[in-house]
Amino acid sequence: MTRETVITGIGVVAPNGIGAEAFWKSTSEGISVLDRISREGFEGLPLRVAGEVRGFDAASVIEERFLVQTDRFTHFAMAAADLALADSGLRADPGSPFGVGVVTAAGSGGGEFGQRELQRLWGQGPRYVGPYQSIAWFYAASTGQISIRGGFKGPCGVVASDEAGGLDAIAHARGNVRRGTDAVVVGAAEAPLAPYSGVCQLGYAELSLVGEPDDAYLPFTTSARGFVPAEGGAMLVVEEARHAERRGAGIRAVIAGQAATFTGASRWQDSREGLARAITGALADAGLSPADVDVVFADAMGTVEADRAEALALADALGRYAGRVPVTAPKTGTGRAYCGAPLLDTAAAVLAIEHGLVPPTPHVTDIAHDLDLVTGRPRPARLRTALVLSRGLMGSNSALVVTAPRS
Amino acid sequence: MKKELTYEELAALMKSSAGVTVDPAALAAGPDTRFTEYGLDSLGLLGIVGELENRHGIAIDGDADSCTTPRAFIEVVNVSLTAGV
Repeated sequence: MTRETVITGIGVVAPNGIGAEAFWKSTSEGISVLDRISREGFEGLPLRVAGEVRGFDAASVIEERFLVQTDRFTHFAMAAADLALADSGLRADPGSPFGVGVVTAAGSGGGEFGQRELQRLWGQGPRYVGPYQSIAWFYAASTGQISIRGGFKGPCGVVASDEAGGLDAIAHARGNVRRGTDAVVVGAAEAPLAPYSGVCQLGYAELSLVGEPDDAYLPFTTSARGFVPAEGGAMLVVEEARHAERRGAGIRAVIAGQAATFTGASRWQDSREGLARAITGALADAGLSPADVDVVFADAMGTVEADRAEALALADALGRYAGRVPVTAPKTGTGRAYCGAPLLDTAAAVLAIEHGLVPPTPHVTDIAHDLDLVTGRPRPARLRTALVLSRGLMGSNSALVVTAPRS
Repeated sequence: MKKELTYEELAALMKSSAGVTVDPAALAAGPDTRFTEYGLDSLGLLGIVGELENRHGIAIDGDADSCTTPRAFIEVVNVSLTAGV
């Protein structure tokens, strides 16, 4: 019998809330926190609106010796991992240190730390670059630090496969559980709002440069002008089902299926087929059919071409069910936190199933596609199966199916 | 001219370079306790060597960053500091 992988812990550090409860309150009520970027160094940049994580005091939750050697993206990941572990009640077992692993996805690494050290390099010289630069800005930093800090010596990994890698990381963790690992701390958090990171993102044609927060991120509308970036993300504790049952942990959801495809950078028309194949693959992996999907958390890139491709992909993969399944994109209220975005959507999907409530898509009103997009207010619904979609700017497409635990 | 590294200065450097809080008196009283027991890793020690080199404008012996205890580290560093220009 295949070892089943379940979610037993959720930890969120998001622009609209720290902790799953605060995040769900804002998400379910459709509260948007998109705002003018307040960070120093953005004054002259054309990127003006983002989803910032405000009120996060890293020093209050992370030991100083970990703080000095890590970037903000790792601070988010460590804090989210703590929240997920507390929710799950899981801790490292000194008698079985290889039973728990760590997997994260990363899209940009540690921009703020890297910018500071590079400024020292060019301003003062190589002797003024601190040695922690060698680890802090790596994509792998969060996995390594969570592993060291928690004493988790099981299989560890980092998925760097673009934004959709957030979902691929969950699948990778499920693979580790199937191969014998008891539990995996898995997820992604990003911090792409250092000025250096902001400049890097200006090269993305899909980035929204709209200065008015209410108009900056309007996917599935004729006013779509691109996406708004965000920081933050979520970590999960995923676990072999019987291991969770044995220790009496509450099972929040089942990781039922996943599939990924690749269709090339910014080739949105081609992403239609890629995303459709990912959806079909994920449903087949889960042993489910299009009729079983109760809610879709859309990728919602926010350009007319990409949104059309996603709507058509849903039609291709779900057939006649595409027009009647509720679709939502709560990220229009927070922005896209790159690899963290599909993790936040996965957390929201589990919470939606638990509460029987589809959260709305903030800011969006006039839908230009044949989709039942939930807008305005949350919609009560009996939810057992959620489909989470993600695409990356570099061409990755991924679909994840999560289901309610068996009662 | 007073330029030798003291336990007090080392404790301050451990704090500023590596975020490790240690009582200078405890460091002086237990100079053979390994750095790892204080939570200071090899990159942290390398950062301290770099900071000392920048402060004093000299090169410190290449073995300094592989020292495992405060006593050994201070000995190696002080040879470089007192010999340095």
